[in-house]
Amino acid sequence: MPSVDQASEAMTAKGARGHGEVIISFENLSLSFGSKLILDNINLDVARGEFLCVIGPSGCGKTTMLRLLAGLLTPSAGQILYQGLPVSGPRPDVAVLFQDYVKALLPWRTVFGNVSLALEAAQVPRKLRRDKIMAHLELVGLADHAEKYPTQLSGGMQQRLQIARCLAQDPEVLLMDEPFGALDAMTRQALQDEMQELASVSGCTIFFVTHDLEEAVYLGDRVIGLLPHPGRVGREFEVNISRPRDQLTTPEKPEFLQLRHELYSFIKLVEHG
Amino acid sequence: MYMLHRFERPLWFLGSVLVALGFIGIWQIVASSGLVSNVFLPGPDRTFRALLAGLESGVLTGKFFSTVQHMFYGWFIASLIGISLGAIIGTSRMAQVYVAPSLELLRPLPASALVPVAIAFLGLSTSMVLFIIGFGALWPMLLSTIHGFTSVEPRLNEVSRILRLTKMQYIFKIALPNAMPDILAGMRLSLTVALILAVVGEMLSGQDGLGQWILASGRMFRSPDLFAGVILLGALGYMSATLLTWFEQWVLRWRNEG
Repeated sequence: MPSVDQASEAMTAKGARGHGEVIISFENLSLSFGSKLILDNINLDVARGEFLCVIGPSGCGKTTMLRLLAGLLTPSAGQILYQGLPVSGPRPDVAVLFQDYVKALLPWRTVFGNVSLALEAAQVPRKLRRDKIMAHLELVGLADHAEKYPTQLSGGMQQRLQIARCLAQDPEVLLMDEPFGALDAMTRQALQDEMQELASVSGCTIFFVTHDLEEAVYLGDRVIGLLPHPGRVGREFEVNISRPRDQLTTPEKPEFLQLRHELYSFIKLVEHG
Repeated sequence: MYMLHRFERPLWFLGSVLVALGFIGIWQIVASSGLVSNVFLPGPDRTFRALLAGLESGVLTGKFFSTVQHMFYGWFIASLIGISLGAIIGTSRMAQVYVAPSLELLRPLPASALVPVAIAFLGLSTSMVLFIIGFGALWPMLLSTIHGFTSVEPRLNEVSRILRLTKMQYIFKIALPNAMPDILAGMRLSLTVALILAVVGEMLSGQDGLGQWILASGRMFRSPDLFAGVILLGALGYMSATLLTWFEQWVLRWRNEG
């Protein structure tokens, strides 16, 4: 049980991020491919400004949930409400960050041009694009690399570029599909901290899919543990750890270790019956 | 790309020039030895004299540019049709289902087999030559464009959906740039085909050009003129391929960096 102190600490942290109002709700959502049931009766509310992490063993449908939320897939039953209306397709204010940045970027466009794509799609006039693009590149630390091509960048920089393109959509919600899974440990930690920062500055609601339990606890306000075959919501974990979090001290906190323990036991239980 | 290398490495370039000079030397020796009658095989000396005379009088220059024109216009028409038709077929499932089988039937037709048909409809005219070149050069371009348009990385298609690109935006910002390497490879193939068919077309139709010049020279046993024409054709093939390489390097510069 979290102590009163931690609870109030979490309250203020959440309050600062503007919790409360529901922005996304999964309502009795199911999805099957043919006769195979992938997701079974998912019910889940996400609050505006919340950093929600979704974990689960492979085959639990966490990426599928993200794709449904992105409007790339249509549910077989139930629905997802976004600001009270059913999701029927991709929306301009919902951005998606993919894990495979190499494939998600346009190799024939420069760093500048890749961010520009989001603005061109939104019909932003050419005159207004330049400043916006540079501002977003500044935000992810790529301003000095604007004229380079993606292949000239390191993996971490390419993922930052994809983040900049997502932010250029000026999204209300950012969906992230194991975004740092392909990066080395140092880069991953740096990007986790940048993401934490960007989340609090932008006030975006974040739906973050990961298989890294510590990452989920480190970043999330709440962690959803899914069960596989078919995918269902297994358990919810509130993360009552104050922000800003720190790579060095946060993982040493008892509440971090406690949650890590609980998540680990949950996953172990799921995987080994 | 290997062009640049050569100039970056002057020694290699020098070596390749020496090899070429060696071949010309052997040619001179064989011609002077009388092994082959000089009615059929002129030495490089006579050939270059004929070449210079032809260029000075402007006769060969005129033939050269006629062939360049035929080749370029035919190739250009083929590129326009090939790329736009390829783009339509590549982005539309309907077109793939309905049109592709007919194209598969037309594709293996040798362009030269259509010459009599083209003559029947268009006469021994420039249009007929251009039609033959255009028809032959169309296929490499069309097929490579279709391939380029249908091989877009699935993740990029998702990014396009997420960003809600319009069909036109998708074609010009995603599919066309993605197809560019394929299209350029197709253009290179068609360029060769266009040169071949320009010569064949000129030979068959008597339209002004190097093809007609070579044929006429051969029939009149003016072998130095014949060889001069062949050398110009070689030079034309080499120059057009080089220009295309430069164009390709510029268009695909994103590939060469990093």
